[in-house]
Amino acid sequence: MTTAVADGHAAHAGEHHGPQKGWRRWVFATNHKDIGTMYLVFSLTMFFVGGTLALLIRTELFQPGLQFVNPAFFNQLTTMHALIMIFGAVMPSMVGLANWMVPLQIGAPDMALPRMNNWSFWILPFAFTLLLSTFFMQGGAPAGGWTMYPPLTLQMGNSFPFLIFAIHLMGISSIMGAINIIVTILNLRAPDMSLLKMPMFVWSWLITAYLLLGVMPVLAGAVTMLLTDQFFGTSFFLAAGGGDPVLYQHIFWFFGHPEVYIMILPAFGIISEIIPTFARKPLFGHESMVYALSCIAFLSFVVWAHHMFTVGMPLTGQLFFMFATMLIAVPTGVKIFNWTATMWRGSMTFETPMLFAISFLFLFSIGGFSGLMLAIVPADIQYHDTYFVVAHFHYVLVPGSVFAVLGAAYYWLPKWTGTMYNETLGKLHFWLSTIFVNVLFFPMHFLGLAGMPRRIPDYSTQFADFNAIATIGAIGFGLSQLIFVYVVVQAVRGKGKRATAEVWDHPKGLEWTVPSPAPHHTFETPPRVSTEAAFT
Amino acid sequence: MTEPRSSPARIRRTALILAAVAVAVYLGFILLGAIRG
Repeated sequence: MTTAVADGHAAHAGEHHGPQKGWRRWVFATNHKDIGTMYLVFSLTMFFVGGTLALLIRTELFQPGLQFVNPAFFNQLTTMHALIMIFGAVMPSMVGLANWMVPLQIGAPDMALPRMNNWSFWILPFAFTLLLSTFFMQGGAPAGGWTMYPPLTLQMGNSFPFLIFAIHLMGISSIMGAINIIVTILNLRAPDMSLLKMPMFVWSWLITAYLLLGVMPVLAGAVTMLLTDQFFGTSFFLAAGGGDPVLYQHIFWFFGHPEVYIMILPAFGIISEIIPTFARKPLFGHESMVYALSCIAFLSFVVWAHHMFTVGMPLTGQLFFMFATMLIAVPTGVKIFNWTATMWRGSMTFETPMLFAISFLFLFSIGGFSGLMLAIVPADIQYHDTYFVVAHFHYVLVPGSVFAVLGAAYYWLPKWTGTMYNETLGKLHFWLSTIFVNVLFFPMHFLGLAGMPRRIPDYSTQFADFNAIATIGAIGFGLSQLIFVYVVVQAVRGKGKRATAEVWDHPKGLEWTVPSPAPHHTFETPPRVSTEAAFT
Repeated sequence: MTEPRSSPARIRRTALILAAVAVAVYLGFILLGAIRG
């Protein structure tokens, strides 16, 4: 059990100077808590921007026929929804949580490279201003899909260079963030905290940061080649000039599949923090969780072509990528087993973070199982580019990543603000989200199996009923998130019970040894962690 | 940061190695594109 002991001085240190006043605090921020807060606010904003685009898509799809938008604008909506949600909402939310919690969990005073941390964040608003500005250009926003496949994407209008530049900026931001996290974890841990004693959220982020470092430059390389194909006369991907468009797909998905794990591994870390606290038991199989995470990360590099079965590839290639993909179910199964075993005979209570964690287990597993179905080559040839794929990745990303982030927000909000959130509203938010997320995405499985293609603004009347149900779910899910905003704002304004340092019932980890709200500076003197295994 | 657990030189070195890896991956994949594309 945890025997991490915060140094009394460290817990209250940092009161000698507080944050700067006014806008300077945020623009010149080097404090990991301030930068974490900015990341989280930014990602919530982008979540609503991307959500608005999703609602426009679902409104158009409520009935067959064209009602509200023209097909060209519909394509812009689907492309931008994906780009904003992936790069603007999910990834920055995870980085925000890392900024806040990694130093607190390892007993570090801050991130190792605080100025670079500031830069990593402040690149993002500029990148997304560039990207969103394309909506107001002649020809509109990017519309060739977030995958940016050539030659289609090279037929875009003025938005193309803006898209490429925005992607480069996001990539630079992510790479700098990843470097910062790795350097912090490797160099600034509390003296007695060996790697295997690190909390699971820190472990998940260490592995995620290596994934980011390995694949974000690949995306940058791919879009650089698109740029030179368009403007500098090269033919990397242009068949007419001797290039190979399929090569782009290989390179893109070499980035794209690990990217999926970049969005879900920190979620695994979050769930591994929440469940032990509310089951009042240590995490079952701490070490096996680390190995499972590492295994998933490794396998994510060797399964990319399962996104491209319909492109055509040799039988051996199909078999390799099919079996390698299925192999991911093994370490994932280990994780689900360990979380279940942690709850087994635990003294469980069901506060909002725990509800989100349990919901994650069920609903993420649905996304995992449909992923296994898609891994089967002959089946995938049927499912490819249908709504079944849309259902699959939304189950992984919404009740998967997004629910984990929401659970994490409720779990650590009292530590951030010093105020307990409104539990009744939190539970209401949870139940409405869980019900509506299923109303929204579950019918998409049936639509896909019945043959409805992705990325179309109009469809055959046989698909009308399930589309209408999905749209009702989308509106319900979107509106439910306003409860979350209200709950957070109330907690930030201090409307609620004062939170204690521990917040929950004897949670494990160094973050619970500092007062709530966490002081501006923490652990200026390294805390002591006993030699007893802290988290196993 | 009053009491770093690791020397600033080591922190800088780790960061520079990781940055070099990122640049090498970026250029490596463009080279791959040039060879195969």
